[in-house]
Amino acid sequence: MSSNRFDIEINGKACSAEKGETVFEVAAREGINIPTLCHDTRLEPAGACRVCLVEVEGQRRLEPGCAWKVSEGMKITTESDRIERHRKVLYGLYLADHELDSEGLPVETGNGNQLRELAMKTEPLALHPVEAPRAGRPADENPYIRFEPDLCILCARCTRYCDEVEAVNAITLANRGSQTTIATAGMRGLLDTTCELCGGCIDTCPTGALVEKKSPDPLPADARKVRTTCNFCGVGCQLDLHVVGTNGTSRVAKVTSPPPGETVNDGNLCIKGRFAYDFIHHEDRITEPLIRGEDGELHPATWEEAIAAAAEGLGKVKEKYGADALGFVSSSRCTGEENYLMQKISRAVYGTNNIHQCSAT
Amino acid sequence: MTNSIDEIRDADLLFVTGSNTTEAHPIIAMEMKRAIQRGAKLIVSDPRKIWMADVADIFLQIRPGTDVWLLNAMANVIISEGLTDNEFIARSTVDFEKVRETVAKYTPEEAEKVTGAPAELIREAARLYATTKKAGIYYTLGITEHTHGTDNVYCLANLVLMTGHLGKRSAGMNPLRGQNNVQGANDAGASPVFYPGYQRVTDAEAQKKFEEAWGVELSPNEGQNLNVMMKSVIKGTVRGLYVMGEDIVISEPNASKLEVGLNENCEFLVCQEIFHNVTTQFADVILPGACFAEKDGVFTNSDRRVQRVRKAVDPPGNAREDWKILIDFAKASGYPMPDYASPAEIYDEMASLTPKVAGISHRRLEENVMGLQWPCPDPDHPGTPTLHIDGPLKGKADFQAVEYRPSAELPDDEYPLVLSTGRVLYHYNAATQTRREAGSVAKVGRNFIEMNRKDAKRLGFENGEIVDVVSRRGRVDAEVMISPRMRVGCVWMPMHFAESRANLITNDAGDPVTQTGEYKVCAVRVEGRNGNGNRNPERQRRA
Repeated sequence: MSSNRFDIEINGKACSAEKGETVFEVAAREGINIPTLCHDTRLEPAGACRVCLVEVEGQRRLEPGCAWKVSEGMKITTESDRIERHRKVLYGLYLADHELDSEGLPVETGNGNQLRELAMKTEPLALHPVEAPRAGRPADENPYIRFEPDLCILCARCTRYCDEVEAVNAITLANRGSQTTIATAGMRGLLDTTCELCGGCIDTCPTGALVEKKSPDPLPADARKVRTTCNFCGVGCQLDLHVVGTNGTSRVAKVTSPPPGETVNDGNLCIKGRFAYDFIHHEDRITEPLIRGEDGELHPATWEEAIAAAAEGLGKVKEKYGADALGFVSSSRCTGEENYLMQKISRAVYGTNNIHQCSAT
Repeated sequence: MTNSIDEIRDADLLFVTGSNTTEAHPIIAMEMKRAIQRGAKLIVSDPRKIWMADVADIFLQIRPGTDVWLLNAMANVIISEGLTDNEFIARSTVDFEKVRETVAKYTPEEAEKVTGAPAELIREAARLYATTKKAGIYYTLGITEHTHGTDNVYCLANLVLMTGHLGKRSAGMNPLRGQNNVQGANDAGASPVFYPGYQRVTDAEAQKKFEEAWGVELSPNEGQNLNVMMKSVIKGTVRGLYVMGEDIVISEPNASKLEVGLNENCEFLVCQEIFHNVTTQFADVILPGACFAEKDGVFTNSDRRVQRVRKAVDPPGNAREDWKILIDFAKASGYPMPDYASPAEIYDEMASLTPKVAGISHRRLEENVMGLQWPCPDPDHPGTPTLHIDGPLKGKADFQAVEYRPSAELPDDEYPLVLSTGRVLYHYNAATQTRREAGSVAKVGRNFIEMNRKDAKRLGFENGEIVDVVSRRGRVDAEVMISPRMRVGCVWMPMHFAESRANLITNDAGDPVTQTGEYKVCAVRVEGRNGNGNRNPERQRRA
């Protein structure tokens, strides 16, 4: 056994760990849940929200599990009366500076609110609300991302994501004390910053303070998720399409990434993958087969007519000039199966190897 | 890609060339950013000072089209300083001597004169690349869209082979594919020279196999690739086209000639599309297809990963899934195409004829959330994240000695600027999808031409001024964008805008092997509308 691997104990259970790992990482691997708001596996630990505090034997204070590095023989406790008392006070402090609903619980947007879930598990200490004039950007005209300052807990996941993962640094923590907020340079709208509208800030926000403007908020309860592959570039990001409505009227109303660590995109998407889905239901879609008539104009036709016209038209060209006077342009935008069929048609039906797609352009 | 996307984060060196990764492959760029934050070194070579160049350890801002000089000079340094992996060369390659002889004259000092990149930086880049174990090359169309695109690729492959950066994690030779399924389309045999799975149409045994499977005689002759096909339309030797899901007119170089060909020579054009585009204006029949959210199937990404596409909603109106349209079309053409009940059955037929993906099926993809990477020869095979990791896939790799050839059209008095074209983050190719998206349009709403401040000043242009960009083949309008990213004498334009089509002026001179057009280098002048800008010398002489 290398000296970099050793055992630690979490809640009395022996767990194998590696030098450099954090308590949070080892616990997650062992299926032990340590609650957190500010941690995201794609980011360096910040230890900012204090939700993940654990007892470390030999340490006087509670320590943040997300940032605390393991060492040989370390003994960790993740649930105890002391931790529970800490959480009660901590959640109380968060709630005193948070928009609450009529039941006194954190308001939930379409992007969920994990603080609400935590507060429902551990009754927070009741504290007087604090006056926190946190500035938003109500005039921001960007079409996708809305900031709800009263739901922000200043964990800085969004600003750290913007810095560490997307690396464009469009947003930052600004001001001091109770006025601290998520700001842009000069509080400009996101369109006038380095923001690339990837929406990763929405995805990482734990309290729904960042919300998608163009999706219903919240999505209807019967919305369903369909896992698929993005149709833009060649990275192959996995998407969850959120579909609302039934049968003929169903629509893609939101797109999110599967969680970090599950797929090739590791929880990330770009502007095209996350937001550029309006084309699916756009009124300009071609919805009828069309045949060009004697008048030179395109006219709607039935599928039978259009398919017959297509086969007859290409058939005549083959008759007159031979199979190699035909060209089949398949599509790197279509599925593998469709490409297989297209080349089979070119070769087996029409007898030519003049089949290609845009891979050489 | 020989390697996988998730290996990038563990790389110790990234050599990014001819790839504006943050804009064209933003999620791969995030993996690169992660590697850089971990301490990986970054070498960028590109005519433009792209985002990646700003964070690079070494940035080689070369003149467009001089890649062979740069890459041969790097090979020269690696060889002359004894940094080659001789064991790998002996074990896995042939013809190294040819490259050694050829690159001998490509010294960094001479390379500096041609490329504009300082000799000392070329040396440093070569040393860093050769001496770092986990060193990967990442490239895209900036390498291939030249009349010497194949040569550029050979030069990169030479670097990989002489340093043995192959068959190892986080290394290798990694072309980043442009479209969602361009890899899968090639894999499925949408190619003039290959049946599915890269089985040659000129191989009599492969031909026999497919003749038996499909029940017909097949042509033993190689077909025309897209670029040749389009030239045949212009010449009138191809007279009927079936175009599915591509706007050939906006995408092909020197588009006005193709338009004439489509009008005068093409007797029948079938388009299968989701939106009207420039090409559908010429169509005799338009078949409305389905977008990715409306059908089942698979896409194969850059790292050879086959992943599911799942139907979420119905196609609009009477539009239909493309695979269903193709089955009906084949039947109407008199061929007994089977009544496949689903794309899963179509995939099974392809897999049964294609050893590379024989082990992949929709059923297995349901169980493998991360998809399956080919080669995957049997149903128990886990797929292949890193090619050649258990030794070469077959035989030995050939070194290719390559001499520099200048680009087909170089600047002169009449057309004094070098134009390269490309893509921006916010739009996708012909942009029929992204121009219908508010955020994309808000960020980039119209065609623009990037130029260096010195050129703009000399030509009397203000930022935002509308100008005409003129080549021997045509003229398009664009908004001036003064940009510190550009070299003096070089301009850049995106290809997305149907009303200001960059491809009316690009050069259709093709690479001798692939016939890929020279989108990255053509000569232009930029005319202002108030008497400013480059003037036509002819006109001046006459006046």
